Amino acid sequence: MATPKPLSRRTTALALAGAGLLAAAGLGAFWFAARTNPPEVVEGEIAVTVTDTVCEPAELTVPAGRTTFRIHNASDRPLEWEILDGVMVVAERENIAPGLNSTLAERLKPGVYDITCGLLSNPRGKLTVLATAESEAAKAAPELRYFIGPLSEYRVYLSRRASELVAATATLSEKIAAGDLEGARAAWAAARQPWRQMAPVSARIGDLANSMDPLADYLAEREEDPAFTGFHRIEYGLWGQNSTEGLAPVAEKLAADAAALKDRLKTLDVAPADLAGNAADLASRVADQATGSQAPYSHLDLAEFSADLDGISKSALLVDPLVREADPAASEALVQALDAARATLDGFKVEGAMPAYDQVDEAGRQRLSEAFAAVAAAAAAYNPAIGLE
Amino acid sequence: MRFLTLAALGALAFGGQAYAQSEATLDLVGPISEYKLFVAEQVDQLVADTTAFVEAVKAGDVERAKALFAPTRINYEEIEPIAELFSDLDVAIDSRADDYEKAEQDPEFPGFHRIEYGLWEKNSTEGLDPVADKLLADVTDLQGRIEGLTFPPEVVVGGAAVLMEEVAATKISGEEDRYSHTDLWDFRGNFDGSRKIVELVRPLVDDEAFLATVDKNFATVDEILEKYRDGAGYVTYDNLTEEDRVVLAGAVNTLAEDLSTLRGKLGLD
Repeated sequence: MATPKPLSRRTTALALAGAGLLAAAGLGAFWFAARTNPPEVVEGEIAVTVTDTVCEPAELTVPAGRTTFRIHNASDRPLEWEILDGVMVVAERENIAPGLNSTLAERLKPGVYDITCGLLSNPRGKLTVLATAESEAAKAAPELRYFIGPLSEYRVYLSRRASELVAATATLSEKIAAGDLEGARAAWAAARQPWRQMAPVSARIGDLANSMDPLADYLAEREEDPAFTGFHRIEYGLWGQNSTEGLAPVAEKLAADAAALKDRLKTLDVAPADLAGNAADLASRVADQATGSQAPYSHLDLAEFSADLDGISKSALLVDPLVREADPAASEALVQALDAARATLDGFKVEGAMPAYDQVDEAGRQRLSEAFAAVAAAAAAYNPAIGLE
Repeated sequence: MRFLTLAALGALAFGGQAYAQSEATLDLVGPISEYKLFVAEQVDQLVADTTAFVEAVKAGDVERAKALFAPTRINYEEIEPIAELFSDLDVAIDSRADDYEKAEQDPEFPGFHRIEYGLWEKNSTEGLDPVADKLLADVTDLQGRIEGLTFPPEVVVGGAAVLMEEVAATKISGEEDRYSHTDLWDFRGNFDGSRKIVELVRPLVDDEAFLATVDKNFATVDEILEKYRDGAGYVTYDNLTEEDRVVLAGAVNTLAEDLSTLRGKLGLD
């Protein structure tokens, strides 16, 4: 998998891009003509005429890949022509005036789609896109462009979590400044949620993680260590010492770090392989952590693990649409493992609330650890399924 | 297929370098994610504005409902490339009487334009309560669906042209807001939505001449729209002079045509 294959894949991608460009150039050339001339069959195009009541033909079959449709509006009203996958529009051409033609070029994946045919009450047509050897081969190694959407969505997710973290750490700081112990505890727990939801990338922001989230266990002087800062220092004060005393500067620094983190995330580059890869790594870390404690003073570990699972699900499932096409069994396995981990977490609830983690026995912790290990294993199968390893 | 492959290989032989840059890159992740954050803000505003609009309709306050109609719609028009992806909601929120067999008299005719018809043609809110409730439910549903949507990059980049094509093809005739003639507000929404997309991908477009032409035409449209500004909004469409309509149509048509190459320039055809 190391050298020759990716090269040939890249060449294919270039060739296809070039082909697309040529097709686009051709398309542009007759664009104006298309708007005024009567329908004519152009080679390489699929012609569809929409009358007052139907599409002619009502059933179309094309190979997967880029297809150009030439739509003629033979009805007496402005026409909107859409290719639908369920309620989602895959491609559309709007406002085709009566008597005129319009073209629509789109890359289509194999499947059966609906096409709209004028009036909303008119019967819809059917478009069948057949798999080709090329489209089948492409599933196992989707082009880079198919990762732009998932990576953009992940950046949006991180951006939202960062905004929540900034707001929540500001609240925490206020509660501490006001000496409101209960309010500060609630604010601490709230701030941990977005923090843990972005845990899949926290390894990538090492310096901030070191000041925001160090555990006393890993410091020479433990709780007395000057490097003991951030969330757990505050947790130690609020739960270990039942006090907000001395925490104000720590909370202010945490809030400032959160703001810096938000800025950092705007430009953090996440690679396609990171989406499932980071998720698998985090699930594996949680599997290890579940036998010990991540929130040693508050014992709110179950809430932490729940937020971890949110972050793991979001990250890995962004590439699930691609994996589902390439390897449905791998997709199914992860979805089931995520559901099972969620059910395991929910199973600990007592009267709707997560109990303190010191109330969870050894067997329970073991169950949780295994559930996350299963998620890690299933997520680790994602990248190989889509040519990312 | 075979023809395309051969043609592409031929093209590569002439200059692989030129084509290499037309392969979509992950540089688009920044603009696409920014666009989603932008759309999310717009749809939040749409829900807030629709809530107030629906309240006015249900209170039977025709004048207030009329005043709120255009400013409420503008956020929908601005994000149409994404909003239109949900065909069921697009029909429910923004379909025209033309889409129905019995046109305005069709009991199925819903959404903004059904309310517009009542407010302007009947000068009344009678019978509009259920339509208004449904509209608010639909824009709220839209907000949730947009939140859950992974934005397809080709839809976002292609959206710049789609917004202008819509105006160019038929809206310029004033067909959209045919009862209220508030079309210039919708144009402003479509236009700002298109320009937003261009601004976001601008750093990735390696064609100064193209950008200069697009900017010039955007400026022309902007100038004409501003001539008709009235307070926070615009005068009715029937005030547009024939001369301005021709200039506007020319600029919008050229924009639609030029922007239709944007997907290709970014390797998303």
